[in-house]
Amino acid sequence: MLFYFASDADGGFAAPTLRVTQGDQLTVHVTNGASEPHGFSIPGAAGATIPSIAPGETLSATFTIPNGGSYFYLDPVNHPVFQVLGLHGVMVVAPAEPTTPAGVITPYSRDRQTLGANAVFESLGTNSPQMPDKFPGDPWIAEFGNPAPKHERIWVFNSIDPKFNLMAELGQPIDSTEFVETNLPRYFTLNGLSGFDASFDERTIPKGFEGEPSLLRVLNAGLPTFSPHIHGNHIFELSTTNATGEVVVNENVIERDTWTMAPGDRKDVLLPFDRPSDIPDAAWPPFEEPFPLKYPMHCHQEISQTAGGGNYPQGLITDWELEGPLSARS
Amino acid sequence: MSDADFDGTSVGEPVGFDEFGCNPYAKNPDTPDFLKPDVENTRQFYGFDLDLPGGEEIEIWSFRDPDARKGKTWPGPAIRVTAGQIVHTKVKANKGTHTIHLHGMDPTTFNDGVGHTSFEVNGNYIYQYQPMNPGTYFYHCHKNTTLHFEMGMYGLLLVDPVEGPGYALRAGVPVKYDVEANWVPDDLDPVWHELHHNAGLCGEDVGLNDFNPKYFVISGVPNNRTMKSRKVRVDATLGDKILVRVLAAAYGVTQVKIGLDAEVINVDGRVLGGPLAPWSQPFTIPADETFELTGAQRYDMLIDANEVGDFNVKFTFLDWIRRQVQANGAGVAETRIRVKA
Ligand SMILES: [Cu+2]
Ligand SMILES: [Cu+2]
Repeated sequence: MLFYFASDADGGFAAPTLRVTQGDQLTVHVTNGASEPHGFSIPGAAGATIPSIAPGETLSATFTIPNGGSYFYLDPVNHPVFQVLGLHGVMVVAPAEPTTPAGVITPYSRDRQTLGANAVFESLGTNSPQMPDKFPGDPWIAEFGNPAPKHERIWVFNSIDPKFNLMAELGQPIDSTEFVETNLPRYFTLNGLSGFDASFDERTIPKGFEGEPSLLRVLNAGLPTFSPHIHGNHIFELSTTNATGEVVVNENVIERDTWTMAPGDRKDVLLPFDRPSDIPDAAWPPFEEPFPLKYPMHCHQEISQTAGGGNYPQGLITDWELEGPLSARS
Repeated sequence: MSDADFDGTSVGEPVGFDEFGCNPYAKNPDTPDFLKPDVENTRQFYGFDLDLPGGEEIEIWSFRDPDARKGKTWPGPAIRVTAGQIVHTKVKANKGTHTIHLHGMDPTTFNDGVGHTSFEVNGNYIYQYQPMNPGTYFYHCHKNTTLHFEMGMYGLLLVDPVEGPGYALRAGVPVKYDVEANWVPDDLDPVWHELHHNAGLCGEDVGLNDFNPKYFVISGVPNNRTMKSRKVRVDATLGDKILVRVLAAAYGVTQVKIGLDAEVINVDGRVLGGPLAPWSQPFTIPADETFELTGAQRYDMLIDANEVGDFNVKFTFLDWIRRQVQANGAGVAETRIRVKA
């Protein structure tokens, strides 16, 4: 058994993504369709909490939308049990003032921007103000409010130990300490999918040409500390969160091929869609090898690459695709 | 030019559920877009029994260099090249299929060593790449990786700046170092080391989600010998500059504590700071402050040997869910940096 949030507009399996703008007032109405109490909260958004909702009851919370960035909405009841059993979704907040002093658009509001993160965005694209030769092509193209942006992906990680899903199905109470202490996940998911399914899911895989940078909003709803590793490009680790869940833009933006996702972590990273740096000059663009170049992103705590105790690589993995070189863009 | 042929690989054929996992394409194709190399090396599968504290022996799989006299090591012999060289690394998979993934390198898909996007090698293949960014990388097998990486199929891949070995880039500027130390902390679950090559690939539950490490090594040296082993301990002279590279190979959180200030100058093969990386800068981890790495992360650090003495280095291996020290508190490996006058 899995629990999930559904919206009136979108009754799909995955929780709907809320796309909102910093500073607006938002009212969320939550109806509990289950047979035990649940709640609602958005870590990092003051006032966005409903501690308990009785079965069949509808309650509301009205709050001011916090700073630009990536947020979880989740059920805080019996933490982390119901969150891990499926009661989580993502809220994407468009910043109130997204431009840097140099006029370049970022996912963060002016008062939260850092020199480090701004230097990344100001270096992207042929006409970038900082390093016009470094990342030829486009700057990052923001699509705030677009429900299916091309230059952004949301990656939600989770872990599943089915013995607890069975307890939930049987209506047995689950003790949160026991849940963590005895959890032995058998499945590891990315956007609710794993392995083959996640690697061919259009909502999940970033796709584009050289010079079409993409923002990846990575959130860990599960119990393990994951170590996602990307092939083909390094990413820029842009943001993290503090103890109260506020979005914090990094001062020192480190390029990595492997970053850390502890439980509850929400980190935005930028995938530059740069020419893969170690393809020989004399073989770029490749003459014989065809596009798209396909590269995996998978967790390097390789335990997470399994499903049901084996079946590598049917775990927390997806691909990304470089469709062609800059010169082939239409 | 080679006779590039993508038939029978994930590049030239459809990839269904079967080819993705249980039955990936296996082949020995020519390298597409083949160039004349500046450097060539070969790595070949080999296995041996490792003696562990308490007398237990477990099977380790590694890579050997068939062209070297002392080519059988664990971790596999380091591949060391200079930025800008065209490198050919040949894999010889003499026992079942394997691949070499050049972790942190950004080559083409065919040279990336991943079965479901390219192919697994059942004989020979030459991986072609031109490392452009100095720093610390590693090579490892990317077949049934959960098992093959745990079995030990990895080695370092070091990219020196154009100034050559003995220099590291700090914020874009070459800095000469006198002593180099490479530490690869790893944790071993002996139960997994009984499994066969293809364990679990086609539907069986072989327990690869249940990892209970009992033994702990640094650079292949079990933790009862890491204080003394020349592969691990560091001997420096007052005034030396030490370059330390750490690659976290454990399946969990690795805590590292070094008894001297360490300045991180490179992460995952990317120089921090300088004109080509205005978004970052080197940062210092004070002596005896703990920092954490998770699976496959690398830090390159500069340490000034500006004080005489023995300085402790401690690796603590934590469970990835509960963060308790592995093996009921035994998950620790220590060594030391000795600075002589
Ligand atoms: Cu990989
Ligand atoms: Cu790797």
